[in-house]
Amino acid sequence: MMINKIFNIIVLFVLLMSFSGCEEVIDLKLDDAPSAVVIDGGLSDQNEIQVVKVSTTYKFTENNKFNGAKGAKVVLTSSTGNIYTYAEVSPGIYNSPVFRGRSGVTYTLNVTLNNKTYTASSVMPAKVNLDSLTFKEFSFFGTSNTYIAANYKDPAGIQNQYRYILKAKGVIEEDAVSEDRFDDGNKVANVIFYELNDLVAGDLIDVEFQCIDRNVYKYFFSLNQSEGGGGPPVAPANPPSNFNNGALGVFNAHTSSKKTIVLK
Amino acid sequence: MPYTNRLVLLLFIILFSQLSIAQNKFTVNGTVTDSGTGETLIGASVKLTGKTSGGAVTNSYGFYSVSIPEGNYEASISFIGYKTIKQSITVSKDIRLNLALVEDNQLTEVVISATKRDENVSSPQMGLQKINVREINNVPVLLGERDVLKTLQLLPGIKSAGEGNSGFYVRGGSTDQNLILLDEAPVYNASHLLGFFSTFNSDAIKDVSVYKGGMPAQYGGRLASVLDIKMNDGNRKTYTAEGGLGLISSRVKVEGPIVKDKGSFMISGRRTYLDAFLALSPDSSINGNTLFFYDLNAKANYQLDEKNTLFLSGYFGRDKLGISETFGFNWGNSTVTLRWNHLYSNRLFSNTSLIYSNYNYVIQNFMEENNFEVNSSIKDFNLKQDFEYSLNSKHSIKFGVNAIHHTIAPGKLTASEASSVNETTYENRKGLEAAAYISDEWSVNDNLNLVYGLRLSSFSLLGPGNFKTYDADGNTSSVTAYKSGEFVKNYINLEPRFSASYKINGSSSFKGAYTRNIQNVHLMSNSTSTSPTDLYIMNSNNVKPEIADQVATGYFKNFNDDKYEFSAEVYYKWMQNQIEYRSGTDLRGNGNVEADLLYGDGRAYGIELFLKKRFGKFNGWIGYTWSRTERQFDAINEGKWFYAKQDRTHDLSLVGIYKASTRWTFSSVFVYNTGNAVTYPSGKYQINDRTVFYYTEKNGYRTPSYHRLDVSATLEGKPGKRLQSSWSFGIYNLYNRKNAFSIDFEDNPDNPSQTQVVRTTLFGIIPSVTWNFKF
Repeated sequence: MMINKIFNIIVLFVLLMSFSGCEEVIDLKLDDAPSAVVIDGGLSDQNEIQVVKVSTTYKFTENNKFNGAKGAKVVLTSSTGNIYTYAEVSPGIYNSPVFRGRSGVTYTLNVTLNNKTYTASSVMPAKVNLDSLTFKEFSFFGTSNTYIAANYKDPAGIQNQYRYILKAKGVIEEDAVSEDRFDDGNKVANVIFYELNDLVAGDLIDVEFQCIDRNVYKYFFSLNQSEGGGGPPVAPANPPSNFNNGALGVFNAHTSSKKTIVLK
Repeated sequence: MPYTNRLVLLLFIILFSQLSIAQNKFTVNGTVTDSGTGETLIGASVKLTGKTSGGAVTNSYGFYSVSIPEGNYEASISFIGYKTIKQSITVSKDIRLNLALVEDNQLTEVVISATKRDENVSSPQMGLQKINVREINNVPVLLGERDVLKTLQLLPGIKSAGEGNSGFYVRGGSTDQNLILLDEAPVYNASHLLGFFSTFNSDAIKDVSVYKGGMPAQYGGRLASVLDIKMNDGNRKTYTAEGGLGLISSRVKVEGPIVKDKGSFMISGRRTYLDAFLALSPDSSINGNTLFFYDLNAKANYQLDEKNTLFLSGYFGRDKLGISETFGFNWGNSTVTLRWNHLYSNRLFSNTSLIYSNYNYVIQNFMEENNFEVNSSIKDFNLKQDFEYSLNSKHSIKFGVNAIHHTIAPGKLTASEASSVNETTYENRKGLEAAAYISDEWSVNDNLNLVYGLRLSSFSLLGPGNFKTYDADGNTSSVTAYKSGEFVKNYINLEPRFSASYKINGSSSFKGAYTRNIQNVHLMSNSTSTSPTDLYIMNSNNVKPEIADQVATGYFKNFNDDKYEFSAEVYYKWMQNQIEYRSGTDLRGNGNVEADLLYGDGRAYGIELFLKKRFGKFNGWIGYTWSRTERQFDAINEGKWFYAKQDRTHDLSLVGIYKASTRWTFSSVFVYNTGNAVTYPSGKYQINDRTVFYYTEKNGYRTPSYHRLDVSATLEGKPGKRLQSSWSFGIYNLYNRKNAFSIDFEDNPDNPSQTQVVRTTLFGIIPSVTWNFKF
């Protein structure tokens, strides 16, 4: 993540320094595609209610919303032989009984909606704990920005993928992923590139640190890449889902480790 | 196309049967130079008229050779922009005839010119455009930086890769499918500052030719085009210096004789100075930053005797960016070419070239706890032997061999002990490209001219290393270890080249061409524009050579005493083994990038119209292209054909130059093109409370159409002074059209429940001024 981000920052820096770009909100006629099924499923190693969200896509011009799909049948099976049936608690939100996922177990999620079944599998990786959060300052051209670094010890000899979900004052502001391709086995301080400058002293910042499997990493990497993230724009595409039958979204069996830091 | 192979073979049989026909022939040969500077002239026409007639065009070294029977002839030597020489010669033995042409200042010649007045009609070559670099000054450009690549983009069939971008698309090809040669050395990354300026400083350039189709057999290695750039040799008569001060860069060039009329040198440099302004800031986080690029071109030549000349030329350019004590990033090309021209006989001209080319980039992170440095490069050693043989007045033959050794270092990551980054080295890849070619230019009769040739090209991927094979899903199916020098994979291809022209009358002709091109080195770029860190890969167990077959036909006409030139060309191109990526491919520091590649087909077709007024106080041209470029990949867009990103339906350029007086010249450029094919969302959904866009058809949308008007004025200093100076004033995007550099979709920051479309415009109206001098 670090190397890519640094490259992106350099590119952005060149563009900004070289020429002053001008941004303007415009009207653009976009097509309305027939709606597609979206499944956003998570399973953590915490003993809690696990949630699967089933929704459908909607028009670009509509207000952002969770377009929940009612009446789906959601069943989770584990490679150890357990079966969990989820209950719909509000349109599109399906809850499991309280249980925890275990590292090394393969979980398969089956979602049946309108007589079509969508299946995805995810293996919960071994857990790596988030040790601490620290502040980090960078200055670019006279303006200095503060960021948060997630500190952890990467286990040697295993391919690990991590996801960082940063909430500022309870709102998700950044959802990034990284892998240990360049820092396997090391103590790592990975900077989460969300500028804290708009916050004031006393504001709370939460970071959830997940260990995720390779396919889930690829899904989020592709999602972030399509959005550019300040780097050279990549031709956008739907991220590669681990669901079959054309469903969008991802099923993510992950470990979870959370820390909170107070802005000084 | 087996028929074409057979046809070419048949033509060679005809050719070699002619070799045995004895004729009492002599040869007239020599070089054509500029009388003022001694600089050789490329593409000057030498015509001998008598009881029979014959002619030749000077080659890249200004050399010509005409084989003709004994007799009296009227020789006519012409080159656009120079006074034609006419003289009588008696041929009773081989004659060495060196000619010096005098510049004709009366002729206000337009920028793009053929070599002689009706060359465009009579030559069998099609798909060729030439640029006269001396005249580029008059075309308005961004920030006053004269740029051959941007001037090229004003021609039909050649499209800009984006706003202010020096990258270009030729007849549906991508930017990496252009073979860019600087004194025969391939230049891998021809742009500075992420594409806004080309690496070619026009001060140092003598000749620019671009082949959009009908590539002669001596060129190979890229699919879409050949851009052949020749550097100035340097003034053989006197020492001169010239230069310019512009808004963003300054240039200086020094040239002169090493030994008068025997050898000369030329050194030309350019550097930007944006960072000089940064240094003025009292803020240490500003004045410690670096941001500049430079180009250095140098060339020397020496004529050992009438039969031997040596040339040494080099190019060194680099971009450097740095944020004080935090990051550093630099990249650049180096090329060196050593050439030896030798006359084996009066008819057999030889050139031997030893060429080195290197492109690399370095990324540095100086932050203590995760400091690192990334190095990546592509390096070529190239040996080339070319012959030109003047068989008789009907046939002129070119043949030769070429071997290129490539070394690609995809990435080496180094870090200090304290860093959290581990040192990693990706295996270097080595490859050998070898080729042999022969072609014949045959004047069948006064009306019919043919050029036909064959190029045999091979590519071998060499060890050492571990080489993987991937299945269709990108999973490794086998890994094999090879030792140094072992052959991992070989590809051999035959590339027929054929073009013909038929003169209907003195001023118009029909032409046709068929060309096959092969590409063995591929640039991987998944961003919508090119970037300095794009990855080069070679053919392998997984990647096959890209193949393009192009057929083209055209009508060429001059009228009003060659004052106007018109051409219409139609082309159709099939492409095989084209490369795309799976979504989410990470190209940076990826040792297994081939696992993420997809292979498919392409097709491109279009019509190009060109009307030019070549002489007079007012001159200029109109270029119009209608075209389609499509791709088909089983794993993309449900296997249906989709528009490639370089697809643009309409592309129009208008260029006008008006020489108002001996001192004032005004010019203007207008461009219009359909927007690029892009992928925009057709819906949206939520993942973990964030809005995600839903994409359906690949490249199913268009960016808004692009248009722009530029103007410029040049004021020449009073003539006759020792110090000649001129001022150029320009305005880019005169009516401040807000062209889209990018279109982004995002949540409205003021109202996160809504999504908005944001257009980024890079260049609004931009004035510029440049002062040029010469003494």
